[in-house]
Amino acid sequence: MKFAAKLLKSLLITAALLFAGTFTIYYLNLENKLIYKVIYPFLQKHYNSQQRDRRI
Amino acid sequence: MVLKQWTNAVIGVIDKKLERFDPKWQAANGKGGLRSRYEDKTGIARHREWRGVKDTFVDYTAWLNNLLAMGKMVASAPVPILKGFWEYRWMGSYLGTFAFIDRLFEGYREDELKIAHMNMHCIVSSLTKKIALVLANDKRLGGGRDSDNIVPMDEVMPPLFMTGFPGLIPIPIQTLPEFIICDIDQHLEPYYIDVAESFGLAADVCSRCSAETGVAIDDDFPIVGRAVLTTNMPCNASEATSMFQRRRFGLPDFPVTMAMIHNEPGAHPYSTQVLRDAIAFIQENYGVKYDWEALFARAEHMNEQNRIELEKWELFKTPYSALCGIAESLYRLYSWASVNGQEDQFTKNDRKVLKLMLEAYERKHEPFGGTTRHRAFLWGPSAVYYTDFPTWVQNCWGINIVLNMDSTMGHNMISTTDPEQAIQDLALFSEKGVMRHHAVGGWDNVNAVWEWASKFNCDMVIFNDNVACKGMNGVHALMEEQARDLGFHFIFLEHDLEDCRTISRRDMRNTVNKYMTVVLNEAPLDPTLVDFDDSLAW
Repeated sequence: MKFAAKLLKSLLITAALLFAGTFTIYYLNLENKLIYKVIYPFLQKHYNSQQRDRRI
Repeated sequence: MVLKQWTNAVIGVIDKKLERFDPKWQAANGKGGLRSRYEDKTGIARHREWRGVKDTFVDYTAWLNNLLAMGKMVASAPVPILKGFWEYRWMGSYLGTFAFIDRLFEGYREDELKIAHMNMHCIVSSLTKKIALVLANDKRLGGGRDSDNIVPMDEVMPPLFMTGFPGLIPIPIQTLPEFIICDIDQHLEPYYIDVAESFGLAADVCSRCSAETGVAIDDDFPIVGRAVLTTNMPCNASEATSMFQRRRFGLPDFPVTMAMIHNEPGAHPYSTQVLRDAIAFIQENYGVKYDWEALFARAEHMNEQNRIELEKWELFKTPYSALCGIAESLYRLYSWASVNGQEDQFTKNDRKVLKLMLEAYERKHEPFGGTTRHRAFLWGPSAVYYTDFPTWVQNCWGINIVLNMDSTMGHNMISTTDPEQAIQDLALFSEKGVMRHHAVGGWDNVNAVWEWASKFNCDMVIFNDNVACKGMNGVHALMEEQARDLGFHFIFLEHDLEDCRTISRRDMRNTVNKYMTVVLNEAPLDPTLVDFDDSLAW
């Protein structure tokens, strides 16, 4: 019984932390800011330096 | 019951306390609006939209669901996906998907938000699986067990007839690197257009065809399959790009040259024979036999989806349709043109959505808080270039896009018992495909816009004008005259499909702004949306 209560408590805490973390990312639009400001420009730099086999 | 009432009461108190953060409240009270939370030009919001407790939670769970679908995609083929991101420029643009979904459903609330996300999640889930499948079998990235079972085919050919080959996987080959992604990132296709033009391709052709050619020249198509199905769709530029792509693929190909002027009864036997020949070509090149029972099983799904679509149309005719705007248009385009009866999840989703629509209709729920002033029929390639246009016209001017031309594609039933009848039905179905049914299938199909608009009780027609489309160049004045004679508000909306440098999103919005202020003398619902610079946005 005590184990079940402990398990339930840790599950609830984990769920609450997950919710708080993901909701913060969601509401503050953090993933889009990261992609737009860091990942996308990095990839564009890479794509622009690629040697493509261009031909008709 | 008591708990529900108590919960609603608490939510009501919180919503009241936080209403000043709701951009729709801000717009209605002169304290800002939907554009207030954006960083200048970038289209990146400082924070997501506060829609009240319930709707913000709906949007958050949809975001989480889409995130999980993308996680599943990466987990299903981690190495090919990472290689794909490194190899293909267009893969990098898919990172803009979350921002894309945000702008599609800005200002959506209640039933329309829930239904929009149900539809969108289907697209995300289907598309992520397709990306994983193609990259995991891309011979350029090492190939996979299905590399030779994939049949690359032109995206404007409805793939339903290919389900008679249950061991093969038809993939609309341009969809991933060009057709879908151009909606998500407006800066991608100009790169491919420049590549095509640097090889001497004329700069005044349709930018969709030009971009596809650029993808081919830049060697950016995944390499899959043993033979390819091209088509004669839908104009001279499109035929040219098919030829360039054919050379680049270097695979045996069969051009599925369906009848263009398909309203003539004499065209159907020709198209039917072309489909038979296409089936024979696949049998020969892939060494498999056509299975009519397999086709019938998938045709059942397509038929059910079409039956549900026709039921939805009855609701679209009323002011109480919770499915509207881009949630309707983009979903129907993707589910018809790309999925085409092949995936069960779309049939299941359609059933659920229809149920919710009927419930909303019973409650006489008016979408967008009843702010709609005009009902418009959109004659435009909604999913090309400027997909959030229907959302913007509703939020800014109260123009509800009831239906778009893409949604009127093939809705005839396919026989599920008789092979001879089925192939004839499939020919008619395929003739009523993307663009063939709208712009290049003869004057009657273009002129049908008035009939569609009347049928759906619209007072306005928004007619997209692709400035590079030679086929439609002469139509402008004719349509203006007819709109005047028939008493429709009519906006002729210039755009250059996938090239935002010729006519920007801002220019397109200004065409509507001018009509609404000068001709109709109306005031915007949300002044922050009237004129803004989103030139650096995806």
